[in-house]
Amino acid sequence: MEPMDIVGKSKEDASLPKATMTKIIKEMLPADVRVARDAQDLLIECCVEFINLVSSESNEVCSREDKRTIAPEHVLKALEVLGFGEYIEEVYAAYEQHKLETMDSLKGGKWSNGAEMTEEEAAAEQQRMFAEARARMNGGAAGPPKQPDINPSLES
Amino acid sequence: MRQAGTYSGLLSKMSGRAGTHSLPLARIKKIMKKSGDDVKMISGEAPIVFSKACELFIEELTKRSWTMTMQGKRRTLLKDDVASAVIATDIFDFLLTLVSES
Repeated sequence: MEPMDIVGKSKEDASLPKATMTKIIKEMLPADVRVARDAQDLLIECCVEFINLVSSESNEVCSREDKRTIAPEHVLKALEVLGFGEYIEEVYAAYEQHKLETMDSLKGGKWSNGAEMTEEEAAAEQQRMFAEARARMNGGAAGPPKQPDINPSLES
Repeated sequence: MRQAGTYSGLLSKMSGRAGTHSLPLARIKKIMKKSGDDVKMISGEAPIVFSKACELFIEELTKRSWTMTMQGKRRTLLKDDVASAVIATDIFDFLLTLVSES
């Protein structure tokens, strides 16, 4: 550990679990590829930095909209502003998927009572929700109603 | 009574794509809170969005680093490969200081 590691970081260090990260990284590469340990560490640090960056921007997006809680929409907007717009579609899909899964477990499987959705119906329903969400997002991208004109240079 | 967490954990393991939501949400939330001095409250759902975004980010960075490794005709991904990938990618500019320090 270099001295800078201790001096530079005032609060306790929150990082991502190495084992999980290593697994994710290795899954993305061919089976016989090795990853040097310092390269692994660097990848993890980059990821933490990514979270920091997007968090800061999300925080600003949230402030600009006069909201008090950072919501998924703010994060998505931040991703777009920072140049990670390509991620938005997949990120949103995962978010919607998670909501569906959570809903199902909370209602104790009431989804399947009576109005039994076939897989096609469920997929169609999902597509409808995506389209709605996209429409919402596109509407939002036009700019919120009361936006102070302090930093025009930050507008994308 | 099933806990929501256990159930969705099971589902994500079954959902083909490995690694969905496998980054711990509490840890992500912690990092988010430390990212600035006056971070607002974070909705319960925001870390979920982050989890996926991180996954995509790591995927992109890893694959770009791997491209560098292949260019060097090696089978071991080195720290320099990560640095090269960062330098070569505009949206990774925020990482330039980090990779040059290490």
